[in-house]
Amino acid sequence: MPEVQQLGRTATAPFGASAKLSMVVLALLIVGSLALAPLVLDSYMVNILIRAFFVAIAAVTVDIVWGYCGTLTFGQSAFFGIGVYALAIVFTEFGFGSWQAVVAIAAAVVAAAAVAALTGWLSFYPGSTPLYASIVSLVVPIVLVQIIYSGGTFTGSSSGLVGFESFDLEFENWFRLAGLSLAVVTAVALIVLRSDTGRLLKALRDNDERCTYLGINTSRYRIVVLVVTGIVASLAGFGYAAVGGVAAPENASFTFGTRLIIMVALGGRGTIIGAVVGALCIEVASAYLSGSLPYVWELIIGIALIAVILAFPDGLVGVIRRLTRGVQQIPRGAATRLLPTMAAAAADNASQVAIEVRELGKHFGSLSVLDGVRFTAHRAELLSLVGPNGAGKTTLIRCLSDGRERSTGFVAIAGHAIDRLPPDRIVQFGLGRKFQAASVFETLTVAECLRVARTHRVRPSLTAASVDLELPPAAISVVERSGLADRLGEEARNLSHGLKQALELAMVLSLEPEVLLLDEPTAGLTRAERQAFADILTALASRDRLCIVLVEHDLDFVREISSRIIVLHQGKIALDGSVDEVVNSALVREIYTGQSKVCETAP
Amino acid sequence: MLTVALDAVTTAALLFIISSGLLIVFGVMKIINFAHAAFVTVGAYAALVGARLGLPWVLVLPLAFIAGAACGGLTEITIVRRLYQRPLDAILATWGLGTVIGQIITLIFGREVQFVQAPFTGTIDLLGVDYSAYRIAMIAAAVIVALVFAGLLNGTRLGLSTRAVIMNEMLAQGLGVDSARVRLLTFAIGSGLAALSGALITPLSSVDPNMGLPWLIGAFMLVMVSGGSLLTLAVSCLVLGGLQVIVSTFINPILGGLTIAICAAIVLRIRPEGFARA
Amino acid sequence: MTSRAFLASLAFVAATTASAMAADPIRIGVPVGLSGANSVVAPSVVQSAELAVEEINAKGGVLGRPLALDVADDGSGAAGAQKAFDALVFQKKVNVLISMETSAARNAGLPIVARGKTPFIYTSFYEGRSCSPYLYVNAWVPEQQVPPIVDYFNKEKKAKTYYLIGSDYAFGRGMLSFTKSYIEKTGGKVLGEEYLPMDGSDWTSIISKLKASGADAIITSTAGGAPNVTLTKQLRAAGVSLPYGNLAVDEGTAKSMGADAADIYISASYVTGIDSAANKKFLAAMSKKFGADLKTPNDLSVPQYEAVYAYKAAVEKAGGTDPQKVLAALSEVSVDGPRGTIKMDKQRHAPLTMYLGQVQSDGSVKVISSFPNVDPGAQCPPKP
Repeated sequence: MPEVQQLGRTATAPFGASAKLSMVVLALLIVGSLALAPLVLDSYMVNILIRAFFVAIAAVTVDIVWGYCGTLTFGQSAFFGIGVYALAIVFTEFGFGSWQAVVAIAAAVVAAAAVAALTGWLSFYPGSTPLYASIVSLVVPIVLVQIIYSGGTFTGSSSGLVGFESFDLEFENWFRLAGLSLAVVTAVALIVLRSDTGRLLKALRDNDERCTYLGINTSRYRIVVLVVTGIVASLAGFGYAAVGGVAAPENASFTFGTRLIIMVALGGRGTIIGAVVGALCIEVASAYLSGSLPYVWELIIGIALIAVILAFPDGLVGVIRRLTRGVQQIPRGAATRLLPTMAAAAADNASQVAIEVRELGKHFGSLSVLDGVRFTAHRAELLSLVGPNGAGKTTLIRCLSDGRERSTGFVAIAGHAIDRLPPDRIVQFGLGRKFQAASVFETLTVAECLRVARTHRVRPSLTAASVDLELPPAAISVVERSGLADRLGEEARNLSHGLKQALELAMVLSLEPEVLLLDEPTAGLTRAERQAFADILTALASRDRLCIVLVEHDLDFVREISSRIIVLHQGKIALDGSVDEVVNSALVREIYTGQSKVCETAP
Repeated sequence: MLTVALDAVTTAALLFIISSGLLIVFGVMKIINFAHAAFVTVGAYAALVGARLGLPWVLVLPLAFIAGAACGGLTEITIVRRLYQRPLDAILATWGLGTVIGQIITLIFGREVQFVQAPFTGTIDLLGVDYSAYRIAMIAAAVIVALVFAGLLNGTRLGLSTRAVIMNEMLAQGLGVDSARVRLLTFAIGSGLAALSGALITPLSSVDPNMGLPWLIGAFMLVMVSGGSLLTLAVSCLVLGGLQVIVSTFINPILGGLTIAICAAIVLRIRPEGFARA
Repeated sequence: MTSRAFLASLAFVAATTASAMAADPIRIGVPVGLSGANSVVAPSVVQSAELAVEEINAKGGVLGRPLALDVADDGSGAAGAQKAFDALVFQKKVNVLISMETSAARNAGLPIVARGKTPFIYTSFYEGRSCSPYLYVNAWVPEQQVPPIVDYFNKEKKAKTYYLIGSDYAFGRGMLSFTKSYIEKTGGKVLGEEYLPMDGSDWTSIISKLKASGADAIITSTAGGAPNVTLTKQLRAAGVSLPYGNLAVDEGTAKSMGADAADIYISASYVTGIDSAANKKFLAAMSKKFGADLKTPNDLSVPQYEAVYAYKAAVEKAGGTDPQKVLAALSEVSVDGPRGTIKMDKQRHAPLTMYLGQVQSDGSVKVISSFPNVDPGAQCPPKP
């Protein structure tokens, strides 16, 4: 075996040296134009832009939650409104001064964080759907506005709050402050979203289930994102009220929330720049046009939204990108280097029992899908699970990987009882599950998919997009054998079916599991691919001493590679034994063919 | 006490009429039509036009229904048809459509709030309580709507095809059901129903380009909670509508407006299928 | 260049400059609720302004300059007003704002008016006590409007208990709080006080509570326009026929309520039935200009007409549009209009003749009694 060295991971910043120079120039340009613009533009435009900058910050947060994490949120306006009202209420009740300002900012941050945490807890529980999360995000601003309405003179109700004293800043300086804030928020967002953490967020959006089965607690990540974006949106609202001097219920309404989404959709979701462009364009155009063409302007926005959704989902920025860069798919990012991890210490410390199942049952009312299932599996076993359709095989796999699935019974993976734990916790005990339909992250590259798979072992960087990728030797071997090693920079959605299956296997192996569950892995593979697969599995069992459980219909495949076969029939184990025992069994023939006559088997 | 009970039942009836169209669309197509509010408004303005032309109420209601159905059919063909795989995007596109319809209405009719006279006014004496006759009539209207659509669904061929598509579209297609036609008709009928409800509520409220919006959220939540059958929708309307009236009367009308939204969100959290049975 | 040519070109430049300056209009900004709760009355306000401007321009304008109107939609609320006022003051750079708006919109606009140093003549009745140095008001305040109705109900309708219903914002709350103290001062009792947000339209539970309370009379103060209509319609549909005083309805809105408006009592500084030469002339001119599109002139739109004339008088007195001079002049000039002679000399508010009226089933108002020159009270006492 080649010598395995632990190489230090060298993470580089997401941009090379020349790119760094252009960034510095860009930053100087932005700061320069912000400093000079108020002197050149007329005061009405300056006014509009100040407000537009703060709205754009809110739009950026919408893009992060929607474009990157995949939750269609109407509710970011609620956080904006919290910032607006925190400032207005504090300054109205207590007047204006330095301690009042501190209290107001603290109130804006704390209230937004609390509401975001509550909203997140409500929306992102295990098993929730994106539609439900959208519904909750719809309800939050409505509830907030009604609370404002019922606040009497404390919140100003329908009138809103006006006339409170606020920060005494020249308009030109407000412009610079707002513009700078927007620039900073955008820059930070871009850096984080281009880093490994950003990839992880996109993975959450692309395939939440796959993330869960990679040991990632998707709810927690989503809630954290919501809290952070909620605080940022709240501070944007704070600034908006500070300069405008008015707090109105419309600032928190769901109509404003939909406005933000429209800005992001038209500008281009998932790009951050698109959100900024969309927000600024719409705010400025709105101010100038809605006076002269009041009805027509809104009509144009509505039509543009429909057109964008139907024909240009990438929005304006996407269209520009496609025009300038062409349709060609350019492999993304710096070339990734694969490095093997140090081989994990062999199994002498771990228990030999990989899976233990006792009295497992799954019932729907009076219907029993699984009943009284009991078996034990050890490391280095390659166990095939066979049986006619409807026997309960996939259900059994689900019960092994998700503690909430079964109705009765006991399951332990790698020596840990799974109780009622969700899949991401069970994965951390050492379980890997490969799905029947290749479950990968469509918009991420091969390398990025693999990196996300390493998340629960290696914390993703918040600022950098790493170049080096450490994978266990088993995963590297799959990557190299399947030819994925030459296509690390390609997006997963462009891979063939067989390559996607290989990618998913490599991702699962990157978890360094002790137990591997595979659901019909050879479906749709060519003969050559199936042979390669067989070799890989056999090596995993014998060399790496994994316990592999395989659900399969291809009985030749099963016969070739298994060390043990379990036959399921109508939810119960009909037979559990070696390949020979099962293949020659009359019972099995009866189950599969319904015939009780013995058929000649080829020698 | 009787007044509160009557308030609750009549409010539930109104909510049922408005939500039924949304339910039919969601049940068959699994898409939320955010232009529903705009279709309600279309119906209200159709009623306005009918009233201005001096048409009797018996003609105004079908006029509204047809106006809504026509808009709905057009919407399905041009927009919704392409978005079946992208339900969240369908929400956005139909929201955009709602804005467009609202603006077109504004361009034609102006932004002002307008009013339509009720076809009959006055109160009915029920067990010692004088109650608005028109509101009581809403209960009858809701029952008629429910019966007609239950009849359509269970008694006609279209209804049969629709139920097949709801249960298993691929299988239905395989059996020769033209699911595209079913979807088109369903969307048109759902939109027609929305417009009809718009025409029915104008005498109680006002007619302006944004009138449908407050009803949209309530209807949306009720449909989510009811899961898919007209019966559970009726139950949800009674339960949640009743709660809304109770909170409005005994606590605060503003918080009352929140009841449906909050309760629905909580119910869905606990039981994602809502009130639907299994 | 010869001296003759030089003089000729000089004259040419002078002439074009002079005519350009002479044509430079005085811009009047009108932020008004084209959408939202006030959208029912806003068109009548705009019509009044248009007639005033047309009449003044026909007679040569103000100090030789024509008047021009810039109308902007304030959405009947604070957020929309912020945008409308910003556009008018900073983009269109108007010389004055003359308008009727909801209190929410007015309060949001005042800081902008102060920053832009633009005079603002507020032509809507309101809850009183709004005291920006840039703000003048030529419409009534509660001290002028409420007593006639309450006194009438107490005396003629023998009402002892009242129920108050309003829109939840500065105007609704302000009016009803004044009403409540006036009722209690005159020996009555308020059994309930209920509010809905400004654009709320479902009064069902409030009406049920009203009926359950057994009050002798109702007094309402909603935002002008839609809330008035929905409340009245729903009250009538529920069979409520108690004496009904509406502090916020105008003739135009009452007309659009149809038969439901019959028997509403209003107290206003203008009704179309005022028997004066000025009013008749005004109504004839409105009819002629707008024909079938005429929106009934009412207590929210006529002050607008008079305010444009007040501004004209102030500019002429001040000799120009300088804001400080015009503001000083506004308290010194008086205008003879459909409502009589009006001078905003009481702490920037105006004494007015008030009429107690009863709405008839055809929407017209029958005047029951009138009270000349009612003082607005101490709205903005000077700070010591």
